[in-house]
Amino acid sequence: MIIDLEKCVGCHACAIACRAEWEVPTGKDSAERERRRNWVKRLGPSKTPQGLASTYYPGLCNHCDKPACVAVCPADKVEATFTDPKSGATKKMEVAATWKDPFNGTVQIDKERCLGCGACADACPYSARYVNEEEGDPKADKCTFCVERLAQGLEPACVQTCLARARIFGDLNDPNSEVSKYVKKGAVKLESAKVKIGPNVRYYGNKKDMHLLTTTSTPQAMPQANLRRTIMAHMLKPAMDQVKSLGMLGLAGAMLVKGLSEEEKK
Amino acid sequence: MALNLTRRKFLQTASLAAATAAMSGCFARQANASTPFVKKPFTAPGSFADTKTVVGGVCEMCFWRCQLVGKVRDGKLVKLEGNPKSIDNGASICARGNGGVKLLYDPDRLKFPMKNVGKRGAPQWKRISWDEALDECATKLKAVVDKHGPHGIAMFPHGSSATYPMGFFENVVGTPNISEASFFQCRGIRDMAYVATLDTAPDENVDMANAKVIFLLGGHFGENVHVSHVKRYLKGLENGAKLVVVDPRFSASAAKAHTWVKIKPGTDTAFLLAIMNHLVKTGKYNKAYVEANGEGFDKFSKGISLATLDWAAKICDVPAKQIKEVAELLAANAPNVSIHPGRHVSWNGNDFQRERSLACLTGLLGAIGVKGGFVAGKGPKVGKAGGWPKINEEHAEAHALHKMAKKYQFSPPGTPTDMIRDAAVSGKPYAIKGFVAWGQNPIQTVPGEDLTIKMLQQMDFVMVCDIMPTDITMYADILLPESSYLERYDMIKPGTQWDLSGKQEQYIAARMPLVSMTAADHERKDPVWITNELAKRMGLGQHIPVKTQEEKTEKMLAGANLSIEQLVKEDGIHVQPGVDPYGKVLKVKFFSQELAEAGFPAVPTYLPVPEPPKGFARLVYGRAPVHTFNRSQNNVWLVNEMPENPVWLNDESAKKMGLKDGDRIELVNQDGVKSQTSSVLKVTPGIRKDTIYMAHGYGTKNPAMTVGVGKGIDDQSLITKLAVDPETGAHGMRNNFVKFVKNGKVLSIPA
Repeated sequence: MIIDLEKCVGCHACAIACRAEWEVPTGKDSAERERRRNWVKRLGPSKTPQGLASTYYPGLCNHCDKPACVAVCPADKVEATFTDPKSGATKKMEVAATWKDPFNGTVQIDKERCLGCGACADACPYSARYVNEEEGDPKADKCTFCVERLAQGLEPACVQTCLARARIFGDLNDPNSEVSKYVKKGAVKLESAKVKIGPNVRYYGNKKDMHLLTTTSTPQAMPQANLRRTIMAHMLKPAMDQVKSLGMLGLAGAMLVKGLSEEEKK
Repeated sequence: MALNLTRRKFLQTASLAAATAAMSGCFARQANASTPFVKKPFTAPGSFADTKTVVGGVCEMCFWRCQLVGKVRDGKLVKLEGNPKSIDNGASICARGNGGVKLLYDPDRLKFPMKNVGKRGAPQWKRISWDEALDECATKLKAVVDKHGPHGIAMFPHGSSATYPMGFFENVVGTPNISEASFFQCRGIRDMAYVATLDTAPDENVDMANAKVIFLLGGHFGENVHVSHVKRYLKGLENGAKLVVVDPRFSASAAKAHTWVKIKPGTDTAFLLAIMNHLVKTGKYNKAYVEANGEGFDKFSKGISLATLDWAAKICDVPAKQIKEVAELLAANAPNVSIHPGRHVSWNGNDFQRERSLACLTGLLGAIGVKGGFVAGKGPKVGKAGGWPKINEEHAEAHALHKMAKKYQFSPPGTPTDMIRDAAVSGKPYAIKGFVAWGQNPIQTVPGEDLTIKMLQQMDFVMVCDIMPTDITMYADILLPESSYLERYDMIKPGTQWDLSGKQEQYIAARMPLVSMTAADHERKDPVWITNELAKRMGLGQHIPVKTQEEKTEKMLAGANLSIEQLVKEDGIHVQPGVDPYGKVLKVKFFSQELAEAGFPAVPTYLPVPEPPKGFARLVYGRAPVHTFNRSQNNVWLVNEMPENPVWLNDESAKKMGLKDGDRIELVNQDGVKSQTSSVLKVTPGIRKDTIYMAHGYGTKNPAMTVGVGKGIDDQSLITKLAVDPETGAHGMRNNFVKFVKNGKVLSIPA
């Protein structure tokens, strides 16, 4: 996806359309992460070398080439078969509860196997994940690039509602796509020396706006792996499997994870 | 009753079976085959899954009226989208439009008729039946009419739900004391100034999409969002239009501007006069247009001749060179320039003259009826219905306060708010003892809250009809809950394609319910039903023009040879061939005889505004993209996006005051009135030192608004010093000045 800051007027429609489409709750999760898949932050007015600037940071999951969130997932790996919708080719992979699709490149979550531990959300340098604790059953949640809508021939919800057509969605592998043209024009990724995991959302804008965006919104360090949380999650898992078979996952799982995050705060 | 249209061809999304992700859904089920008792984790199915696409929505999260479709699952609205058939907003809607779902299902919405068994301002509510509520409203209002005459009733309406009851009170009951916020606290000045100059109200009819220069005076698009309006603006910018933004603040539009004129607030008319004088003196105005269509040009050019670049530079605190540059830029690109008339223009009590100046500048550049200029789209004709007979017009006319006092000859329709309020409080020249608020929240809309409360407290009866428990509802004796724009038949929205230079088309959309209003947990009613019941009980039932909202819609559609059934078949919007809007010429009254006779400046004139006292800066407010006026401040999705309204302070001033970005602050104004809530400080180089800015629409005081209560600062509560525009009687709301308060300590603002 490309976000064209020359067009964006900062109206927040994208963020709300996403919330409606995927019933994303408001506020923060129990680990103080904003509960959202899609956001707009207003930047400036601030001084830049090119003059006074004010722009926006419309953000969502970057569906990174080397996603930091995937490797940390403590769920048991299972074999999965992926199919390329274009060629019909298939590929088998061992995946945990979150993975990067080898064909369409999106990063997805299997909500049924997700433990709700939040390790993936902690690992994301862009804070693009949160834990949805609705209905007493915590599950990691994030932007799916609306693959479910794409499968119906629809645009992603944030793209459809954008009055400025500032969000452009397409295939980066197709050199003639509009997104590829933006890449050629110089659309940039929010990457730094220490955060180079290949984000796939790129931003395009004039020099002063891009200066403001990149200096304020590029993550400068990978999040410290929250070892304690990860270890606890591993320890928790057998217990969760047990309650699962008792059909009590909802209640007990929520309590356990809540206890865990409360401990974390202390 | 919802209109369930499920034609797959239309949206290709109707009634789809639960959709799964391209692959992950199937995969997930396989992986968990061994745990059959596990409850399916919470995963939203998506708005396309198992929903019906219901057409006929017309948005009213603001007044722009974008056309909608609703995605409805099991009778419940899950999502709103722009109607893909729309040639106006298209499939896009703004944040507020998307947020309409949360207005519809806001648990704080008014549900039942209520009687206040406590005090006005400190209410205690008792649920009563509609019969009881309507009987009491009718009895009390009739008692006021019988004792004090029809003019003893004041009505403060807002929005399309108030149109029908307003007609009843004005035409049948016969009171002139109607104060529409959209006129007296917003755009009335603009409309009247343009009527006095170009003989037409301007709306926002500038062809920005095809302009070479877009000129905005305070316009902050992006922070202020109306979909097709912003589309026109962005198309213009994409096509290379130069953007000039005149604003004391580096607004969202200033950030996209080629020229930002960092003007001293309140001095805009001086700036405009200098531009016009420069164009006249250097002969760079559109002579052909002015000669053919100008009236009183000689008197005008003489009248503005003292407005030199240096004169304005000093007043406006803007370099003379920049004023000249703007003037020359406009001249070089005339007539294809959009001189935007603005919308909320109730600023400083000298606003009619500024709006006259904008209209004259438009004429001087000949930017009328041409690409990029002042051009109105030619919409289709529809029928009229639901109008109440004007049986008491003469009485209303004879008792109009401004006409009795021979003041405000250029008042927009209704009566200037302050005259109504003053009459109510003083009892002179007559008593006003019955009050009806319908969709308007004067507590947060009208400056001078103390006076408004005094007006309310001396009433014999106060009736409020609304959707949400806004601040005014706390003063009601009887509070009536009405249906929202998503649940009722209502108005007709005619228009044209958004880009005037595109394929010429016209559309007719009618607001139709997207979801049923019937539910066990409430007894809301639509405004036609409520008004008719009131009319019957006041003994005026014989004048009822339509029995239902639906009948009103059918009659209006019949005027365009349409029907509800036909409109539904056409996916909610009828589109027909349009008319080329270009080529219309307007006469320009550079000098207005009418104004001269009424004793007002007949040539645009700069009237200086009060300066801030030492240690204070001028309070200026504007729009947040996620809020409309003060109507959306309890919407949980919208509040979540911008929970507070940051207060902007110049960075150098902040440094001297020892304040930091993010500090929690309060404000106190020149009359010692302190904000009742706090907000967060925004420290930025993007604002003048003499100006403090915040977004309007925060800080409701009603605890029944559980999401919005106490969040951010209510700018209106700090606007206690009144300014009234002499020509129109409309309010100016930017002549108030503030200091900061942090941890109880008052902090002066350095000059």
